[in-house]
Amino acid sequence: MFKPYETNSYFDEMLNPNGQPKDHYKSFHSMLLEVSEEEFKEKHDTAQLSFLRQGITFTVYGEEEGTERTMPFDFVPIIIPAEKWNMIEKGMIQRVEALNLYLEDIYKDQLIVKDGVIPRVLIEQNPYYFKQVAGVEIPLKNHIFLAGIDLIRDEHGVYRVLEDNLRNPSGLSYVYQNRFVMRQVYPEFFSEHSLYTLETQVTHLESALLSHRPLNLPEYLEPRAVLLTAGMYNSAYYDHVFLAQQLNIALVEGRDLLVKDHVVYMKTIRGLKRVDIIYRRIDDDFLDPEAFRKDSLLGVPGLIEAYKEGNVSILNGVGNGVADDKAMYAYVPDMIRYYLNEDPIIPNVETFILSDPDQREWVLERLDQLVVKNVGASGGYDMLIGPHASEEQLELFGKKIMESPHQYIAQPTIKLSRAPVYQQGRFYPCHIDLRVFVMKGEKVNVLPGGLSRVALKEGSLVVNSSQGGGGKDTWVLKEETQHA
Amino acid sequence: MLSRVADSLYWMARNCERTENNAHILGVQLIRMLEVSEQDRITHGDWETILEICSSKMEYERMYGEITVQNLIHYLAFSKENPNSLSNTLLHVRENAKTTRNIIPNDLWEVWNDFYLASLTNVNKKDCSLKEIHSFLKQIKITSMTSTGIIDSAMSRDLPYQFMKIGKWLERAEKTAIILKVSVERSKPFQESGLTEYYWRSALQLVNGYEDYSKKFRPLMNPKLILQFLLSDKSFPRSIRYCMSHVRKAIMELESERVSHYSWKMYAALDKLRTDFDETRIEEMTFEEIESFVNLTLGRCSEFSQIFSETYYLIEADSVQ
Repeated sequence: MFKPYETNSYFDEMLNPNGQPKDHYKSFHSMLLEVSEEEFKEKHDTAQLSFLRQGITFTVYGEEEGTERTMPFDFVPIIIPAEKWNMIEKGMIQRVEALNLYLEDIYKDQLIVKDGVIPRVLIEQNPYYFKQVAGVEIPLKNHIFLAGIDLIRDEHGVYRVLEDNLRNPSGLSYVYQNRFVMRQVYPEFFSEHSLYTLETQVTHLESALLSHRPLNLPEYLEPRAVLLTAGMYNSAYYDHVFLAQQLNIALVEGRDLLVKDHVVYMKTIRGLKRVDIIYRRIDDDFLDPEAFRKDSLLGVPGLIEAYKEGNVSILNGVGNGVADDKAMYAYVPDMIRYYLNEDPIIPNVETFILSDPDQREWVLERLDQLVVKNVGASGGYDMLIGPHASEEQLELFGKKIMESPHQYIAQPTIKLSRAPVYQQGRFYPCHIDLRVFVMKGEKVNVLPGGLSRVALKEGSLVVNSSQGGGGKDTWVLKEETQHA
Repeated sequence: MLSRVADSLYWMARNCERTENNAHILGVQLIRMLEVSEQDRITHGDWETILEICSSKMEYERMYGEITVQNLIHYLAFSKENPNSLSNTLLHVRENAKTTRNIIPNDLWEVWNDFYLASLTNVNKKDCSLKEIHSFLKQIKITSMTSTGIIDSAMSRDLPYQFMKIGKWLERAEKTAIILKVSVERSKPFQESGLTEYYWRSALQLVNGYEDYSKKFRPLMNPKLILQFLLSDKSFPRSIRYCMSHVRKAIMELESERVSHYSWKMYAALDKLRTDFDETRIEEMTFEEIESFVNLTLGRCSEFSQIFSETYYLIEADSVQ
């Protein structure tokens, strides 16, 4: 029942402009033609119900207390051929290596600032730059245990990095659940494809986690790791449960931990047990009321002192926000050149720095053609999409930029690539992006595929789940079979 | 295991048991209501009995004033204000299951999550037909049985399992004790005339022991026999003695059958209970003695829960109760 649609001026993941499928989608496409409408409907409902039953939900803030929603799942997978993936993988490793070197540099010698590559003001005015942890020696000199790098494709199909998430990237559980549901509900689609499995990735994640041994932990002791969550009302709670379960570590809340003589302990039924590695999923601000926000009830008093002493590892590193906000983003290609002496494999989206008077003037004249983003915001909030904006919105953002130019960046409106979705009983094309998960311990590992997010509202560019976005399974084909 | 997690498992199990028991009790009363004349119902104070067993009569009176079937169903099943309404104990089960879902079997979480989602429309429901309430109670029963089945067939017999078992058996023991306490009180004015059979039959039904009792002692509705059955029968799985001996078993498993400086208090409390049962001959007691024995046993059960919570640091853990 699948019918081709007009690809228009967009790059389509599945279809060529003539309506024929691309090579790596051919066998999937031919299966689509065989399935009946009733069967699609039935499978669609089974899949949605499966997410609800399992409680794979996220909490929507600002709605009635405890509103839980599932992320809509769309069964048409994003298929990535091997050679494209190899390029993405290399690009991700390169980027995360550079970002990590940058973080180590910023919290130590700041050579990149001294050499004039990055303006000092961007560091010092950054609300996520924490002097409290400057100079701290951390295990493996690694600040980035798990990163989520958001990629898009432009109208030519070129992959570009849209955003780096180096603090608490969520969504890994969805990657697994999407695959799980896909295998259960649409097993026949897998028979014709050979793709990279996700199972072995958990082992990589675990060994990366455990390689962050605190400097003071004696060699003969096995490190004890925990996952620190804000609790069941946090929007990403399911992600936390899933990771704790997969990594086989305790899921703790701040109140389960305490610090005594600069050592962190968890409160168990047999008394206190020492904790060596904390994979925290709460923000820096809330980690330790003695070091950061005094009103934090989620955190653990004294945690940062224990961290500085080398008695506990905190992952991802404290203060990573200085590397992944939208202003710093513009400089990542420079970081890659500066630290690695390489050219970026995957380019950025062109970005205008609005604190620069010339660029600002240029941008203000063309607001209706550009996208403007708050450097500190995420999730699609405080964002202007010029071509879709009203006069008032344009005026409002013009004012905001004039008042605090440091707070905003502008980018050209990208024609995000599209892929077909099946919703409400029909197929239509929607804009997508891809969050790639990169784990780093002694070496860097990229999870094959990642979380494909889709803006299910026709024409919408916002893929965030808090604003009606959905998820898709992502397949990376193995080299030998993709042309079979 | 984290104390907070142990506490959640313990309260999840208690709330499962509480939901199942309260649903059963409400179901018994809804059926009995049809069989008993209006006059009898008032004389025997059936609904007051139910309120005292499942929640609080005082609170009910403050909220609604008069006793009507609609109000009672609302209060016991769906009220948001009554902490022990079925909607609320169900919510506690689900929340505690959610905070421990990386510990418990996935199927267990799904069963309760499913039922919770399906019954969300019931919360604070005002007009509920008898047909609807009966089907709700039946769903609770089936869900509890499924949940019991998953726990027994899927869970390893290690720490989480033992904490859940302790919660379940303690909750059940205390419920039987409360039913006995209220029944003894209610039957008191009729002691002289000897017309107490109504209350003992009722106690058997509320504890869900009528069927089992009749098989063993048919057709004797002998008050002392019934009391003995519910208090200290060794094989009936709802007698206080049976429940507390299973609590003891679970504690032994937890502690690898050892007594240590932090756990001896728990054993001491359990020993007291055991000695009571071993040495007490119900058939030779007067009703006054029985009344004080029932109260003493109830007190010992709650005393034990307190010591248990202190031993494993559950007190400060403060989860959803």
